[in-house]
Amino acid sequence: MAQGSGTPIGGAAAPKVEGDLTGQGGPYLSATDLVFAYGSAAPVLRGLSMTVGRGRLANVLGPNGSGKSTLLRILVGLLDPAEGQVRLGGIPLAEYPRAALARRVAYVPQETATMGGFSVLETVLMGRSPHTGALGFESAGDWHAAREALRLTDSEPLAERSLDELSGGERQRVIVARALAQEPDLILLDEPTTFLDIKHQHAIYGLLRRLVRERSLTVVCVSHDLNLAAAYADDLVLLDAGRVAAAGAPADVLRPEILSPVYDTPIEVRTDEVTGRPYLLPRPPL
Amino acid sequence: MTLRPLTARSYILTVLLWMFVWAVVSAGALAVGAENIWKWQSWEQVHNVLGLRLYSVLSASAVGAALALAGLALQALLRNPLADPYVLGVSGGASLGVILSSLWLTVIAAPLFGFIGALVTVGIIYAVAQRRGRLEPYTLLLTGVIVNAFYAAAIMLVNSLVDPARRGDIAYWMMGSINTFDPQWKIVIIVGALATAACIAFALFAKGFNLVAVGEDTAGALGVRVGRLRVVTLIIASLVTGASVALVGPIGFVGLICPHLLRLAFGPDHRRLVPATFFFGATFLVLADLATRLLEGIGGQTPPVGVLTAMAGVPFFVYLLRARWRKAAELR
Repeated sequence: MAQGSGTPIGGAAAPKVEGDLTGQGGPYLSATDLVFAYGSAAPVLRGLSMTVGRGRLANVLGPNGSGKSTLLRILVGLLDPAEGQVRLGGIPLAEYPRAALARRVAYVPQETATMGGFSVLETVLMGRSPHTGALGFESAGDWHAAREALRLTDSEPLAERSLDELSGGERQRVIVARALAQEPDLILLDEPTTFLDIKHQHAIYGLLRRLVRERSLTVVCVSHDLNLAAAYADDLVLLDAGRVAAAGAPADVLRPEILSPVYDTPIEVRTDEVTGRPYLLPRPPL
Repeated sequence: MTLRPLTARSYILTVLLWMFVWAVVSAGALAVGAENIWKWQSWEQVHNVLGLRLYSVLSASAVGAALALAGLALQALLRNPLADPYVLGVSGGASLGVILSSLWLTVIAAPLFGFIGALVTVGIIYAVAQRRGRLEPYTLLLTGVIVNAFYAAAIMLVNSLVDPARRGDIAYWMMGSINTFDPQWKIVIIVGALATAACIAFALFAKGFNLVAVGEDTAGALGVRVGRLRVVTLIIASLVTGASVALVGPIGFVGLICPHLLRLAFGPDHRRLVPATFFFGATFLVLADLATRLLEGIGGQTPPVGVLTAMAGVPFFVYLLRARWRKAAELR
């Protein structure tokens, strides 16, 4: 399933590590040799390659500044890489018309501004905008999709409330509902659990897991939380300084000899006896 | 849960407001009701009085619609509820352009120079207030203060250099007034046409405005070409502001007051706000102009309408600023 899986990053002579998470369904999303820099600053991505199979939940991990969010913004087409290419379903991203791409790929950004005072229902209906006409008025089908998205995220009771007055967990569910209303094949999420307590963290990941299982959605999630990623993801992609340091199943990536150099801190990995998945303990320097 | 489309409410309100607007034509120091027209001496008199009233109403409608739409678009695009062409200095830039063109060129060149002044100002604001592609709300307002200060100085410089006989004209013009002594019908038509075109364009952009208000990345991921939307919108806002200033001078706060009152009535959805702003902006300035004519009865002179809108707008600005702080404190 995962070629090059668990390969620790090596010295200068080490072979290039690629995050190949093709899965059973064949590659759905692939990035090849991505290079990107903001303006004249040092490059954020330096030849990053990875693939994600259809119907997989992949989690991108890495230290601060390793290029996770930038990668996600390239994958959704918000940024154009200086070099390299992203393919979706075998077709280069650049060849998709904007609206066509928005009908296939949904994006949940790190933070959502609350300016405007839109209601929850209005916010979720915005997810239908790639499907509506020039004036942007929704059809019965669009309303149906929005209601379905609210139902899936258990947000129906919130529908008439203003987005501004929701708690962080509720708001995050609504933003995920907006992404689902797009009826995409692929959802990209940038740290969706950052401001949530442990219950809501599990609720969001549980929902993503369910969507992958029931709807064959492909999910790529950026997260700082290694344990949460290990518990829910099919595949992990570990970034380090704009490259893939390791990719593959959680047990293959979450290894002390891989993680410690990337995070530059001692890390101990254990196995959860119930789930069989790894979890880690930061070990403070003695 | 009900669908809240462009409902009867907004249409009824619009029709009522327009009936009111046309009633305004007959109000003023000289009553021009249908029953009085027959008592007048000649058709020439009827034509003159009605013509000037009509000119006032049409100028105020065109300028009100244009400035309110420019304010709405700037607020949506800059994601700043305090944005307004006057506050940001766009009207100031347009004023300098119009004054410079009036020194050497024909009147009809004024809208073009107003547009150039407005567009240059938008460029300056972007260059100064932008940090990593984002416009900080308060930096934006401070930039507006600085830009306005510069234009005020530049206009005073020009004013001190011109023929002393013209100084009073420029100073009065800078207060923003609908001048019926020297009607410029061609410019009224230009402003009206531009405001209508802006309304149509912004109605097509309304979906994009909604999404940008929520977040630029979100808008981009939902298929909006944010960069293109921004450039085209800023050009249109500069065009209508420049042409308005060429016609009536810098009239402030219309673009701040109108969209906010309409948000209270219709909510944040720009698909409703754009047409509502077009009609309400027009009505608002017609009423403000009517108020100046009613004040004429007190003092014997007509005060500039820009003075009234500023007196209404400044407390409104303070209210919005306080509301924003309150909201920020609640979120914290």
